[in-house]
Amino acid sequence: MHSLTGALRGSGLAALCVALSTGLSLVLCAHTHVADLAMIHLLGIVFLSLRSSVRVSIVASLVSIALFDFFFIAPEFKFAWSDVESSLTFAGMFVVAAVVSTLSENLRQKEQEARAAAYRAEALREYNLELSSARDVRQLAAISSRHLRKLFQALVIISLQNADGTLETFEDQSPRSAARAHGAWLKREPVRAELGSGMEIWVPLVGIHSTLGVVGLEVPRRFERDSTQDRLLSACASQFATAIERVELAGAVQRTQLEAEGERLRSSLLSAVSHDLKTPLATMIAAGETLVARGGELSEPAARSLLVSMVREGERLSRLIQNLLSVARLEASRVELRRTPESIEDIVHSALEQFAGRAGAPEIDVDFDDDLPLVSAEPLLLEQVLVNLLENAARYAGPGANVSVGARHAGAAVSVEVADDGPGIAEHEREKVFEKFYRGAHTTKSDGGVGLGLTICRAIVRAHGGAIAVRERNGGGALVEFTVPLAAHGHEPATEVAFS
Amino acid sequence: MRRSHLLVVEDDVEMRGVVSLALRSHGYDVKEAATGTDALSHIQARTPDAVLLDLGLPDIDGFVVTACIRQTHDFPIIVLSARSEEQHQVRALDSGATDYVTKPFREGELMARIRAALRRPVPMLERRELVVGDLRIDSSEREVFVRGVRVAFTPTEFELLEVLARNADRVVTHRQLLRAVWGAEHLDEVRYLRVYVKLLRNKIERNPARPERILTTLGIGYRLVSTGAPGAREGD
Repeated sequence: MHSLTGALRGSGLAALCVALSTGLSLVLCAHTHVADLAMIHLLGIVFLSLRSSVRVSIVASLVSIALFDFFFIAPEFKFAWSDVESSLTFAGMFVVAAVVSTLSENLRQKEQEARAAAYRAEALREYNLELSSARDVRQLAAISSRHLRKLFQALVIISLQNADGTLETFEDQSPRSAARAHGAWLKREPVRAELGSGMEIWVPLVGIHSTLGVVGLEVPRRFERDSTQDRLLSACASQFATAIERVELAGAVQRTQLEAEGERLRSSLLSAVSHDLKTPLATMIAAGETLVARGGELSEPAARSLLVSMVREGERLSRLIQNLLSVARLEASRVELRRTPESIEDIVHSALEQFAGRAGAPEIDVDFDDDLPLVSAEPLLLEQVLVNLLENAARYAGPGANVSVGARHAGAAVSVEVADDGPGIAEHEREKVFEKFYRGAHTTKSDGGVGLGLTICRAIVRAHGGAIAVRERNGGGALVEFTVPLAAHGHEPATEVAFS
Repeated sequence: MRRSHLLVVEDDVEMRGVVSLALRSHGYDVKEAATGTDALSHIQARTPDAVLLDLGLPDIDGFVVTACIRQTHDFPIIVLSARSEEQHQVRALDSGATDYVTKPFREGELMARIRAALRRPVPMLERRELVVGDLRIDSSEREVFVRGVRVAFTPTEFELLEVLARNADRVVTHRQLLRAVWGAEHLDEVRYLRVYVKLLRNKIERNPARPERILTTLGIGYRLVSTGAPGAREGD
């Protein structure tokens, strides 16, 4: 349609030019020389040649020359001439038409190409810019699909290679086109198929080491191999492939870094805790072996004390392992807490229950605000915080110490305090005690501590979005306070009246 | 009285040996199985009175074993699991396990759980009157007596207490409680339970700040205990 109206418009312009120059010559012929009339026709031809195609210009110039001959060259009103001069004039007019129209057409084509090239460059730049902002292959596929659809007015299908080497398609495709996609992928060369007035073309995304996938286009008009369209398509495909490799490389680098980080953490943990893991085990094995080998010879209280120490060391080992598991979980790259609305009283009671069964556990005072709101927490982790704090209080405040737990509503959180009336923690140590493997001034090698308890407490509290700090208790002793955010307001059960 | 017959399903030889020894010393008749398949064939050969089931078996997942057993049997299943498998415990309980004990466990606790499990739960339609420790619940009159004194309960409080009492000494999961009292569409409203358990404690505990009757099992559910309170009678 476009070229047809263009041709009509070209012919119309040509007819107008020829008619105008002939008409003007007819008006002026009585007053001027024939050479001037020839100039008028020549001007018409030049004007037309600058704007029309070579074909139209040549035909129009021939018509113009014929009319000039017919009206103005003797014998008049006949398509004939007698002098050499006229022959030269006609030849000159024809050559001017041919040369000018050829030159101007070349110029127009060059300009059009330059404009198309600029458009493609801009399109590629935009495409590239968007590709560089994508973080995963899925985003890359979406961006490519959108850009290619716009650039080629085409249906776009993108298939990318999975980790297991198979092709994953991002949009539905027929089995027939799937086969072609596969063909292009295997051959690493574009595969074309005619499709009515349009075509289907599959371009492989060739990476450094392998073919990363295939882009399929269903375009409404065919384009030739190595045409500008074709070159644009391969430029897009190569940018797409580069972007995929960049994303994959970035992912691999990040994974390696995480692995290295994890490895570092593991080895430092291992070296630090291997002693603490081995000590209780050694006690348990030694006590057990003594009982096995000489159980009959030992007095009843002696045998019993060996058994008691086996149980105690086993429990110590169990707590240590629980703490280590929590560290491992909290220090892993992404921790997803399983939070539920919890009552802090329940968590404290559960911690007290765990703690109470231990040998030498002190009596603990509990003091809660009435009607404490629910907190949003993973209950077993918070319980572990409390058990660690109670253990520290009992361990470092010494036998006969008073230990207390309190909880109160504080703004958007519940604040929990564990306090003892022991020697307390010196001011300069109050931040350090939260560091991994840091042991305070009052600790001894044999107290069963590792220097992980408070580190874990802080990690858990922070993971919940709370804060933890050590202070001095009123009247002396250590006080650890931590906060836990309140649970969001959910459905409250309707209030009821008791039947009586 | 016939000795109760227990099946211990545990892949770790040492653990299986210790548990079996402890059970035999308490007068139980014990059979052992090291795998899920082994356990199922044992059960087919002779139905035990209860099964102690480790969740981390080498061949079949503990809750798959639970589900298999539940298709044909309703004897108690007590799950033994490491504490980190808390989500699995909930799943096992929701899919039909009777109770669970975390490793490492104390012998006394394990025996108490087995005793509680062997006492069958009271089906909803039976038994007009339930006695759990110092509580007496009259289902037909919807009356509750706490240490001999009648206390008024709202309908929801009563239903919640009744479900806990019928499963006395056993952990009832959040979902089981929510389903029984509020219905299947409220299975995730743990908040309801928090509110109502607090209300119940205010009515039945001697000191609601230190509950001894309704105990919380963090992340899993609640347990109404029949013993432990001073002067409490044995529930059954």
